[in-house]
Amino acid sequence: MPRTILDVHIIQSVPPSNINRDDTGSPKTAVYGGRRRARVSSQAWKRATREAFPAHLDRSELGMRTRQVVEVLATEITRQAPALAERAADLAGEVLTAIGIKTKAARKDGAAPESEFLLFLSHRQIESLAELAVTAATEAGDGKVSINKQEAKARADREHSVDIALFGRMVASATDLNVEAAVQVAHALSVHAVDNEYDYFTAVDDSKKNNDDEDAGAGMIGTVEFNSSTLYRYAALDLDALCDNLGDATAAVRAAEAFTRAFITSMPSGKQNTFANRTLPDAVLLIVRQRQPINLVGAFEEVVEDNAEHGRVHAAIGKLAEHARELHTAFDETPVAAWTFGIGEKKIAPLAELATHTTFDPAVRAVGELLGQRLAASS
Amino acid sequence: MSCLLLRLAAPLQSWGTSSRFTRRNTDRAPSRSGVLGLLAAATGRRRTDPLEELLDLRIGVRIEQPGRLERDFQTARSRDGQISMPLSYRFYLADAVFAVAVHGPDQLLETVEQALRAPAFPLYLGRRSCPPAGVLLHGMHDGDLAQVLAEAPWLASPWVQKQHRAPMVTLDTVADCPATEPRAELVRDEPVSFDPRHRQYDWRTVLSSQVTVPNPLHRSPTPIPAAAFAGGGHDPMAVFEEPI
Repeated sequence: MPRTILDVHIIQSVPPSNINRDDTGSPKTAVYGGRRRARVSSQAWKRATREAFPAHLDRSELGMRTRQVVEVLATEITRQAPALAERAADLAGEVLTAIGIKTKAARKDGAAPESEFLLFLSHRQIESLAELAVTAATEAGDGKVSINKQEAKARADREHSVDIALFGRMVASATDLNVEAAVQVAHALSVHAVDNEYDYFTAVDDSKKNNDDEDAGAGMIGTVEFNSSTLYRYAALDLDALCDNLGDATAAVRAAEAFTRAFITSMPSGKQNTFANRTLPDAVLLIVRQRQPINLVGAFEEVVEDNAEHGRVHAAIGKLAEHARELHTAFDETPVAAWTFGIGEKKIAPLAELATHTTFDPAVRAVGELLGQRLAASS
Repeated sequence: MSCLLLRLAAPLQSWGTSSRFTRRNTDRAPSRSGVLGLLAAATGRRRTDPLEELLDLRIGVRIEQPGRLERDFQTARSRDGQISMPLSYRFYLADAVFAVAVHGPDQLLETVEQALRAPAFPLYLGRRSCPPAGVLLHGMHDGDLAQVLAEAPWLASPWVQKQHRAPMVTLDTVADCPATEPRAELVRDEPVSFDPRHRQYDWRTVLSSQVTVPNPLHRSPTPIPAAAFAGGGHDPMAVFEEPI
């Protein structure tokens, strides 16, 4: 079965900023290639991506075929406990009532009741709701089945299902939905060596200033650490795993598109009011592969020097394209398709040799279309 | 029986064997459970699946470039931002490179090698945010762990090999060994189950040792040409030879 993986590579310059700091207030760093680099942790950028979802994902687009939610749930209950097959539809109805979802008679005779509205429940949510019904039925024996409303609602929290399908969830309690993430995000690293700098500040006490009895000193002094960097950001999305988690191909493609848009345009919000550092990427390379994701960070193991010709971004894009070509040769890797966009024809040129040169929206749409086709072909 | 040679390199990796709660440590070399976990992911086993014949594989690690410890401080909040989770500290090895020899029956190794070319789950070096960089697979080699680790070329990054100004380099190795080996150490690093609900590890015996291999980028010292002083690229320490 052909797999589908989407690699997202981004070169992005950030002015003086402190978007991701450690417990001492310093911007995070790491050593790579023997030189200290600026670092933005994967968890920080994942959170920023999550926060940006609502702007890119219309939840009404998800869950195409789940008006038949009773039937879907009943099937899962039967799969988990064949003995309950005859009562499965009733149990499913009970669970939905506990969540607060109204059902009505089906339009077709003999079919299970339908929910009033289109409903999106991920694969794992269906499993865990069925589990709840089976447990309740087993405990009740021949008596009346009672389903804990709070528990049912927690398991059906639809707002979470897309991010959890993408980023996974690992909770120690067995009752929870443990989901294997479909997305891998690497820590962003600067392509050049970085030293953190210090901004010394004084804060004037207005009232003290107007009082002749007071001294002329500041109300408070301190330092803020910051750095500025050109970052290489990387994420890989396993479409098959995402489809598996969501249980719906259309939802998987929508979620993949939303992730791509949100990951490209988001930025962690640390100290943004101090530095107003929100930028957009200088260059983006989207690659659809069928064997494995490939991280191109090796392009920057040797730093881009500060005196690079035509600037850092230009040099970084050149290195990225060259490294991608070398790795593709080494791995006998032929991407299924690739798109690139970014600032300036000239700057993007090295990437345009590897990928179709377009702009943001058409690129994401093209990716979505291809992902949809591949899922349809493999199902 | 032969060995499959892997090169584990990335800006960050993390190989915890005794991490609990909010302080997540890393060992200084890849753990057996970490490497078997990587192979299990490649072959499509889920966390809850049994590891089966992968447990018969023997693992040996050579530290090509030790890297350095980086501490990552992490905060977490609930989705609505109301509840703060405990602060956690995660340790990473930055800039490290390891050669890992996996010893076992040829057929199994071939299956594993194929799986690593098209892994069922995306691979990572100890933590999901640490995808491998560069070329992972370095071919099949005849011989046992000790032999392959002693003969494999030095896989450190070029900049490390250039900095090492000697024709030979001595590297630390850690390899699985029989419990009867007199110098064996006992470590709790034999995976029984990766099931998140009840992860289980058993004890394994390892042997730490050293091997000496040639430095492929060693150039015997030559007089420094005047051009080296142009453009601020002068390295005043270049005239000193590092003792081996």
